[in-house]
Amino acid sequence: MSTIHLLAGGFQAAFQFWPFLTIVTGLLVGVVAGAIPGISFVNAMAMALPFTYVMEPTQSMLFLGGIYVGGVFGGSISAIMINVPGTPASLPATWEGYPMTRQGNVKRALAIAVTASATGGLVSALVLAFLSAPFATFALRFSQPEFFAATLLGLVSVIAIAKDQPLVTMVSLLLGIAVGTVGVDPLYGQARFTFGVPEMESGVRFVVVMIGLFAIGEVVDLLATNRDLRPKKIDGKGLGVSFRDILNVKGAILRGTGLGCMIGVIPGAGATPGAVIAYGVEKQVSKRGKEFGTGVDEGLAAPEAAKNATTGAAMVPLLTLGIPGSAATAIMLAAMMLHGVNPGPLLFIMDPSMVYTIFAAMIIANLLMIVAGIGVAQVFSTLMRTPPAILAAFIVVLSVVGAYGVRNNVFDVYVCLAFGVLGWGMKRIGFPTAPMVLGVILGPLAERYFLTSLANAHQDWTVFFVRPISATILFLALVFVCWSLWPALKPIARRLLGRKERFNV
Amino acid sequence: MENRLTSDHRTDAQVGRAQSSGLRVLLPTVLPAMLVVLGLVLPLFMFEGDQHPSKIGLGPGAWPDAILKGMSFFAALWLAREIWVLGRAGRTTTLSPPDDDLSYSYAKAIGGLVMIVAYGWLLPLTGFALTTAAFIALWCVFGGVRKPLVVIPVSLLGTYALLWVFMGLALMPLSRGVGVFNSFSIALLQLLGIY
Repeated sequence: MSTIHLLAGGFQAAFQFWPFLTIVTGLLVGVVAGAIPGISFVNAMAMALPFTYVMEPTQSMLFLGGIYVGGVFGGSISAIMINVPGTPASLPATWEGYPMTRQGNVKRALAIAVTASATGGLVSALVLAFLSAPFATFALRFSQPEFFAATLLGLVSVIAIAKDQPLVTMVSLLLGIAVGTVGVDPLYGQARFTFGVPEMESGVRFVVVMIGLFAIGEVVDLLATNRDLRPKKIDGKGLGVSFRDILNVKGAILRGTGLGCMIGVIPGAGATPGAVIAYGVEKQVSKRGKEFGTGVDEGLAAPEAAKNATTGAAMVPLLTLGIPGSAATAIMLAAMMLHGVNPGPLLFIMDPSMVYTIFAAMIIANLLMIVAGIGVAQVFSTLMRTPPAILAAFIVVLSVVGAYGVRNNVFDVYVCLAFGVLGWGMKRIGFPTAPMVLGVILGPLAERYFLTSLANAHQDWTVFFVRPISATILFLALVFVCWSLWPALKPIARRLLGRKERFNV
Repeated sequence: MENRLTSDHRTDAQVGRAQSSGLRVLLPTVLPAMLVVLGLVLPLFMFEGDQHPSKIGLGPGAWPDAILKGMSFFAALWLAREIWVLGRAGRTTTLSPPDDDLSYSYAKAIGGLVMIVAYGWLLPLTGFALTTAAFIALWCVFGGVRKPLVVIPVSLLGTYALLWVFMGLALMPLSRGVGVFNSFSIALLQLLGIY
């Protein structure tokens, strides 16, 4: 049977009453969980796992798939509306989406975000359905040096958000990576920077740092400035965006989708590097690159498309090879194993109807996400009409619960509050917090991949340069750094060349 | 006498403002200098006194050491730039703080931070239910919402909703407090039908 026939059968199965209801429920749970900072869709998937015991294997995958798709987008709702990313991948949404909200264009920001996310997710679901095999082969060629190179590319893309302060951005990023080194190291099992505190051995979780740096600082600023969260001007009736506006950002959406599909298929890469790299690339490519950070449509659309494009792509190694590339797909693997389903090439032969029902469900979930995203955003809009003091009180409580919920540990609450105070201070002096958060997220991954690569290669440093994919990614990272820094270096180079010419004359 | 007091008062305010602006001028230079020192000193405290880092391969200290030295290097470049900025008028510092000093209430901000830290500190002692209800009510009053008919229902119903979602539905083991607060939390949760 051809792929189209199998996919048609998948749609038929997914559109039955109970499977469809399961997708919708999962999607709503995901969007809400993603939108609440600290709860995260991964936690929601973990909490939903026991509920899948009573479901059919396919139905359980539809439920978890729905949460996954909805959750990856949901994080952008709080990022756009209150400048607190619900998930790490929504970090770029705070850079462009929140300025739009402050300009009174919240509906426009949400409409662009949901459209870009749905497009990215839809394309990646189609990629999953039609191109699983070649993508899986590509993913299989990745090993530790390639993972390190990809993570490094994600880290250096932070230079794109540096605006005019690349030095401070680098300091902030390295400070974040240093924070990520607290606790037991990934290879030798030795504790670092614990200062005699046993709880420090488990390390500092990025979610806790993210909540502290973003949520607490924002809430305190809200209190100190008595800012009204209601939009200052009404951005028109309806969605606040026209079809032409969406067409204007089609390039950004397509670039983000392409990057998201490529990055998502790499096990371990995930939505966060995908979104950050897409933002960095878009800043360089876009004609409005210099305006990024002030609420530019392209800057919001590209990372949104990229992060949801990773959802379908991340399913490729899971379904074709049985390799979970992220926490979310690991939970899906667990659900499959619980039902006695072993993902891998044999699954496509033994139970193609299940596989193609999952593909169809991913497509349906991405289409339904537009409705679900707008619906949940409406609820959030209503919440924003409440007095800022009341809203801020609940943001603090949710942040503290979110930090506690990471490991059910009160120590994480203290860490979150400490980073909250630090984040407020950083904000007041204009020290960028986003690179630091990115460092805490990607730093531990980079260290693990770096050390294991060297350990596997008997400490031979050339391992990163002799492998074609790794060398190519590292070369791209170098090109990206030069490309990003060129506007800042150009006047210096021109001045130096000018002096030389004058000297020669 | 009165004039002298007023004059003294003005002088104090002016001195305070001058000191504050002096701090503002110095901060861009002090901060990178502190980060340079931090990056160089922290590696000395990486392992506990009785621990010896493994000698196999690069060892567990290589990565953090390189990162901190890298941070020191970039902070030193930043410091050099700030000193260059101090050298001539018209040059701008690297950091650009938000330009909202006139509308920003630092007293309120610090009060808010103290309340948030106190909330986190009291949470394991007095339990989630009681601390959260008190925090929401106090924050609302501090933030300018003073109507009892708003503050009390928001605080109580909000806490109930949070308890129901996190302890009832998600089964999160949120703190019940210690001693008498533990007994109170258990009784409250039983009364609300969560336990």
